[in-house]
Amino acid sequence: MPSTASTLTTEQDETLRAIVTDVLELEPEELTDTSSFIDDHDADSLLAIEILARIEKDLGVAIPQDDLTEMTNLDGVRAVVSRSLKEAADV
Amino acid sequence: MTSATAAPAAVATAPRPASTPFAVTPLAVTAVGAVSAAGIGLDALGRAVAEGTAGHTDPSGLGEESLPPRPVRVVPDLPVAELIGRKGTRHLDRTTKLALVACRLTLDAHPGQTGERSGVVLGTSTGSIRSSSEFSLETLRQERPYLVNPSLFPNTVMNCAAGQIAIRHKLHGVNATIAGGHLSGVQALRYARNALRQGHADRILVGGVEEFCAQSAWGWHLSGSLAADAPVGEGAAMLMVEQEAEASAAGRPVLARVLACETGYSAPGRLADGLASVVTTALERCDRWPEQVGAVSYGATGLTGLQRIEERGVRTALGGRSPARRLAVKESVGECFSAAGILQIAALIGTWQHTTAPAGELALVTAVARDGNVGCAVVEAGHLG
Amino acid sequence: MSERGTRRVVVTGLGAVSSAGMGADEFTASIRAGRRTTSAVRSFDTTGFPHVHAGEVHDFEPRRWLRGIDPGQWGRSSQFAASAARLAVEDAGLAADDLARGRAGSVMGTTSGESAVIEELVGAWAADGLKSLPPDLVGSAPAGRIAAAVNSELGLSGEALTLATACSASNYALGYAFDMVAGGDADYMLAGGADSLNRWAHAGFYRLGALAEEICRPFDADRSGILTAEGGVALLLEPYERAVARGARIYAEVLGYSVNCDAEHMVHPDPTSIAACIRAAHRSAGVEPEQIDYICAHGTGTRTNDATEVAAARAVFGDRIPPISSIKSMIGHTMGAASGFGALICCRALYDGFLPPTAGVERTDPDLGPGVDPVPGRARPAQPRIVENHGFAFGGNNAITILGRVA
Repeated sequence: MPSTASTLTTEQDETLRAIVTDVLELEPEELTDTSSFIDDHDADSLLAIEILARIEKDLGVAIPQDDLTEMTNLDGVRAVVSRSLKEAADV
Repeated sequence: MTSATAAPAAVATAPRPASTPFAVTPLAVTAVGAVSAAGIGLDALGRAVAEGTAGHTDPSGLGEESLPPRPVRVVPDLPVAELIGRKGTRHLDRTTKLALVACRLTLDAHPGQTGERSGVVLGTSTGSIRSSSEFSLETLRQERPYLVNPSLFPNTVMNCAAGQIAIRHKLHGVNATIAGGHLSGVQALRYARNALRQGHADRILVGGVEEFCAQSAWGWHLSGSLAADAPVGEGAAMLMVEQEAEASAAGRPVLARVLACETGYSAPGRLADGLASVVTTALERCDRWPEQVGAVSYGATGLTGLQRIEERGVRTALGGRSPARRLAVKESVGECFSAAGILQIAALIGTWQHTTAPAGELALVTAVARDGNVGCAVVEAGHLG
Repeated sequence: MSERGTRRVVVTGLGAVSSAGMGADEFTASIRAGRRTTSAVRSFDTTGFPHVHAGEVHDFEPRRWLRGIDPGQWGRSSQFAASAARLAVEDAGLAADDLARGRAGSVMGTTSGESAVIEELVGAWAADGLKSLPPDLVGSAPAGRIAAAVNSELGLSGEALTLATACSASNYALGYAFDMVAGGDADYMLAGGADSLNRWAHAGFYRLGALAEEICRPFDADRSGILTAEGGVALLLEPYERAVARGARIYAEVLGYSVNCDAEHMVHPDPTSIAACIRAAHRSAGVEPEQIDYICAHGTGTRTNDATEVAAARAVFGDRIPPISSIKSMIGHTMGAASGFGALICCRALYDGFLPPTAGVERTDPDLGPGVDPVPGRARPAQPRIVENHGFAFGGNNAITILGRVA
């Protein structure tokens, strides 16, 4: 389950996990809630943008490019996506 | 440059005209790597060409849905995990993988170090036409045109493969991509020769790459530029070239010497004359005579109209004589477009190693394209141990 | 092992096909005025794109400029290149026959080659499958057609070389042409580059978060990215002695150049490697950093580029960074032609006496540190003697040329 207070469904959370492990070429157990994409998983900014792009496409949500700076680990991704989903629902 | 002073063979022993451009320093080839429908490695290529056997003909492993009804030659199993690694290869396209495999084979065959002062000069035509056209298609097919995968974007840029080679092997020297199509081989050698002369690197990987894909297979099929029975192929080949003095000082055997590489441009209808002219200039610039040419490695095999033009141009330059040995690498590996020129040279070296060719044999490597480009490299067999 | 050619090489003709006008005079006037010539894209359907501005060459009429080739048989980038080359030869006051009879060739740079042709083919594929690709378009797709178009247009019999080293390709081309003329392999070389606007690059840069909405403002604190652009540019190079003998107008001398590769990352430039390239270019030209009066920046308009480019310059020039401006602020990023347009404006800056501006700079980004002078607004009158032209590219391909005034 998501470790941060979030509005994500279990299904959405599993999708996020799957996207991150796929893009960063990780075994599922390598990715923790707080493991750093850059320091622990050799990500670079291109891969970070790919994660953002995949989330936008698979979850049908728009994420501002500026939020990339927060997406440094899985919890960060959850927070950004939760916020974007909420903003979309409020509109 | 083409020279207007095409000396016929009849006056071959007469003094050369004073207008001949200055002689050029030969390039030493100290390693070769090749991947083609004949298989992985130079041995496989040399054997297939020497024995006249066809390479792998079944494209089903590539997963292309719709292919034109015509023969093909493809690389059977590209050993990506073994030769490139597993990590970070997910987004590499076939063009880049072929180039990286050829690069790995060349570096493994090279007895010296590479690193810092090494460069790359790689021939292409459009980069990976599959990558750019699929990326473009995504902009039409997605709900919004920008919902493309950003990690695939670098594949659409033509210098992607050369950049990846540099990154993976930490090569900080000159890094050039030549969009030469049929002329890629001789143009890449010319570029590399100048770059070595100017000190932009101490040694350069000179290569060419072409991937087989449905887009280009249909292109060849529909344009009519390739004879109906000529196969569409793919492959990559690479030569490590350096100044001969450097190689000798380091005790590295010189497999072959590129004595000259000349290119020119002809008006429509004058291609054969244009080719004859660059062959003559190339021989002049390395002070060799038509009679000394023992082999020709042809580039236009299977190309509608151009095959005969190429043969006529070479015959004219050699004074009506046909060389003792004729190599047509495309009969084994198919039409490899941008990879063909370096494959022609790799095939020469491969057959030199495979057969008992005369020591020091002198060979021409020719290329001709419909737009007007013509080119010729003069290659001499070296130490083939 | 460096072995320099013995002949001095000068630029005597300039040609431009750009959003800022046709020919070097129109282009230069537009740049000097600091005019922004980017606009809403018309050459492809922008439906669904949040950002739709680019440096498009509107209403380009190839038949007005081309005399040797039939534009119908060549793609848009080839038409740009051949038109720019024709304009450069006319600008040089060189009789076409004299050029064609000489030992003359061309070397042109590009990023995406005939991308507009490829996108037409993709359109046919999307509509009716690959079996419906129009055969004549297939023949126009190879990028090598770009230099071939120049040779065909001008009847040149020397080499026709297309360099696809992405966004520094024109500087690569200029360097190679310089060597060919200096070393005596050629007496005239046309060097430059060409690229066409295309949807895929627009989508790719947008997806990377690198595409500005409407205004490209390099060096400004509020910059927001690049604008894609298109065009063709050509410089005519010949030996100094020959130019003097025929009484040609000499815009500038090519003093030297350098190329290297970051070998680090496909899309992130490396300041250490760029600084090494600048130093090597200085060595090649036989100049010291203090002698550089102006830098025509790569200046794409992204934060990363600005920070990297200024850091590299600071590493070489210390606290005295020469005025450094970006013409991409006006015409956008013309990709493979970009450093060619940079070289063209450098030639005119040296000959006419001005520093090209960066348009749209309201507040120079303080994060770039002290002493950054982007020549904001309009051109500044000056008499630069030696200038430096930057080109960086995808794949970490750096190329820097050094040009000087001929007294």
